[in-house]
Amino acid sequence: MADVGRHPNIELLTLAEVTGISGYVGNFTVKVHQRARFVDEKECTACGDCVAVCPQYRPDEFNSGLVQRRAIYQPFPQAIPAAYVLNMADCLGRNPIACGKCAQACEKHCINLDAEDRDLEFEVGTVVVATGMEPFDPLGMTEYGYGRHADVITAMEFERLASSGGPTGGEIVRFSDGRRPKSIAFIQCVGSRCEGRGLSYCGNICCMNTIKDALVIKDHWPDIDVKVFYIDLRAFGKGFEEMLKRSRRLGVKYIRGIPGEIEKATGNGALALHVENTETSKLETHEADLVVLATGVQPRAEARALQQLLSLQLHPEGFLLEAHPKLRPVDAPARGMYYAGCAEGPKDIKESVTQASAAAGRAVRLMSLGEITAEPYIVTVDPDRCKACGVCLRVCPYKAFEWEKGSPARPIEALCAGCGTCAAECRFDAITPHLFGDDQLLAQIEAALAERPQDKAVVFACNWCSYAAGDTAGVSRFQYPANQVLIRTMCSGRVSEKFILRAFELGAPVVLVSGCHFADCHYIDANRHTQQRVEKLWDRLESLGIRPERLQLEWISSAQGQRFQKTMAELEKLRAAVTAAEIADTRRILGEQKKPARKKTDG
Amino acid sequence: MADTEKAPGRARFRCLRCGSEFELPYTQGKVEERCCPRCESNSVRRLKEEKAKSG
Repeated sequence: MADVGRHPNIELLTLAEVTGISGYVGNFTVKVHQRARFVDEKECTACGDCVAVCPQYRPDEFNSGLVQRRAIYQPFPQAIPAAYVLNMADCLGRNPIACGKCAQACEKHCINLDAEDRDLEFEVGTVVVATGMEPFDPLGMTEYGYGRHADVITAMEFERLASSGGPTGGEIVRFSDGRRPKSIAFIQCVGSRCEGRGLSYCGNICCMNTIKDALVIKDHWPDIDVKVFYIDLRAFGKGFEEMLKRSRRLGVKYIRGIPGEIEKATGNGALALHVENTETSKLETHEADLVVLATGVQPRAEARALQQLLSLQLHPEGFLLEAHPKLRPVDAPARGMYYAGCAEGPKDIKESVTQASAAAGRAVRLMSLGEITAEPYIVTVDPDRCKACGVCLRVCPYKAFEWEKGSPARPIEALCAGCGTCAAECRFDAITPHLFGDDQLLAQIEAALAERPQDKAVVFACNWCSYAAGDTAGVSRFQYPANQVLIRTMCSGRVSEKFILRAFELGAPVVLVSGCHFADCHYIDANRHTQQRVEKLWDRLESLGIRPERLQLEWISSAQGQRFQKTMAELEKLRAAVTAAEIADTRRILGEQKKPARKKTDG
Repeated sequence: MADTEKAPGRARFRCLRCGSEFELPYTQGKVEERCCPRCESNSVRRLKEEKAKSG
C-alpha cells in the first residue's frame, strides 16, 4: 500500500466515491466526489496530539467496533496517506461552532475546519473495479445467539482480537469476563450455503481462515481446546491440506455437524452447543468458553450504485459478472473494464492479488497499444431511416450508441460487439450489422427454402454455442436429421421477427431459434431479448391462426452435442407433423398480412 | 395443492414441444431461462389465462 502511495504514476484519491462515468474504452470520463479530510495530509505527521484532546468517541470500524476511536482518527495503522482524518459527522460540528480542540492542539496547523468537499472530473482509458466484499451479518441467525451471548463473536472480531495491533494486543479474551478462554469453538458456514436464510453459495475463504485461526491459537496457547463444527471442509489449494493436517496433529478437533442451538451452560459461564454429529448420528452437547462464527461473505451494498453507473452485469449471487468464466475471468463484458478481488466473487488474498495483477496487466496492455481492434461485425446506422426512437440504446447490452432525442443514433464502434440485437429490434430497418445484414440473412433463408421447403426445418444458431454444439455433435458422430438448414448468426439476439416470418411464408414447416444458455451469453444478456421476442411472436402467430408450436426456442451450449442431436430429432418429429395444408394456410395468411390495407370508400 | 391452484410467485406454463403443463417460479417483468421438467425443452410458454390475469 505504501508503494501505491509513493508511485509517481498513481494518484490516490481517498474519501472519494465515483458519482458518474460516461464514455467507452480509451475515453472514459469519471466524476468523483471527494469528501473533505479537514487535515492537510501532506503536513500531518500523525503525531496524535489532536486525537488526545478530541472529546468525541465513536465505535472503531476497523476493529469491528470492539473499541472506540475519536472523531479525528487514523482509519488503521498502515493507512495511506499516513494522516489523520476528521469525520465531521462524528465531530461536535461546525454549526454553530466546532469545539476546535484538535485545531488548537496541532502545532503544525494541519487542521482546517473550513475545508470543503470537492468534485473532480478526469479522463481515463480503462477502469478496474475493486470494491471488495463485506461479511455476512449473523444477527438474523438467532440459533447462534450472536448479540445475545457476549462470548459469541464473528471471525472478523476474532481476527482483531488475535492481531498484535488489535484492541487487546493479540490477547484472546472473553468479552463477558475478560479472561482467556480455555476452549474455543468455531462454527463454519454461518450464513453460507444456507439458501433462504442466508447466502446460497460457499464463502470460499472461511474454512482456511478457521484453520489458520486454529493454528494461531495452538501456536500461542497450546492448552486451549479448539473444536471446529463443519458441514464439510474445503481445503483445496496449494499447502492447504497440509495446514489442515497440521492443525489435526496439534489437537484441533473437527466435528461434522452444525450446532442447532447455543445456550448458556449451567454453572461455569461457558456456552453449550447442541449439535448432531453426522459422523456418529448422535446428538451431542459440547461446551466452549468462546464461540467464533465463520460468517460468509457477500457483495458490498455500496457497490450496487457503481455497478449501475458502469452498466455492469451481476451474477445471481450479486457479484459482478465476468466476460467469460474461463477465458476472460478478469474482464467485464464491456471493453476497457476489469475486476480485481471480491467484487467479482469470494476469494482469498492470494487469488485477489493474482486477479489484481492480471487486471492491471490487461489494462496496461490495452492502453499501451494506443488503439483497439474492433470486430468486423459492428453495426452501422442509416441516419435517413433512423427515427431516433432510442430502442437500439435500450436493448444494446453494451450501451454502444450515442443518442439524443430527435437525432439519429450513432453507434460507438469501439464498444459494439456485434450481437445484432439492435438490428433485430429496430422497427425502421435503420441498423445493419456488417456481414449479418438483413439482405444477407434473408438471402440465406430464401436460398435454403427455394426447393421442397416442406421437407426442411430452419434453424437459427448462434455462433458461440448452438452452432458450435452442431460441430460438437458432428465430431462426436452424433447423428441427426440432414434436412435441417442451419443459419448462423453471431447471437440469437440477431434473429429478427421478420426472418422467422419470412421462413414460414416461404413454406418452412418449423423454425428453431437457438442460442447460449442465459449464463453463457457471449453478449452479456442479448439472448434475454431473443426470448422476449420469441414469446411475443408465439402470441402473434397464435392470433394469426398459426400454431405457436411451429416456432421452437432452445438454449444449447457448445459442449452439448447430445442436446443438439436430441433437439434436432425432436424438431424433425414436429416438422413431420405439419401438414401440407397447414403450410399452405400459413403462406396464405402471411401473404395477406403483407398486402396493403384497402382504403375504405364512402357508399 | 390442486392442479389449478398455484403458489405465490409462480405461474403455469406449457411446453411447446411435448405439450405438458407445469408450474414454475415467475416474476412479472423478469426474463428467466426456463425449461420443461419433462422434456427439458426451452420452448416454454406462459399459459394464456395467466397472462390475462396479470395483464
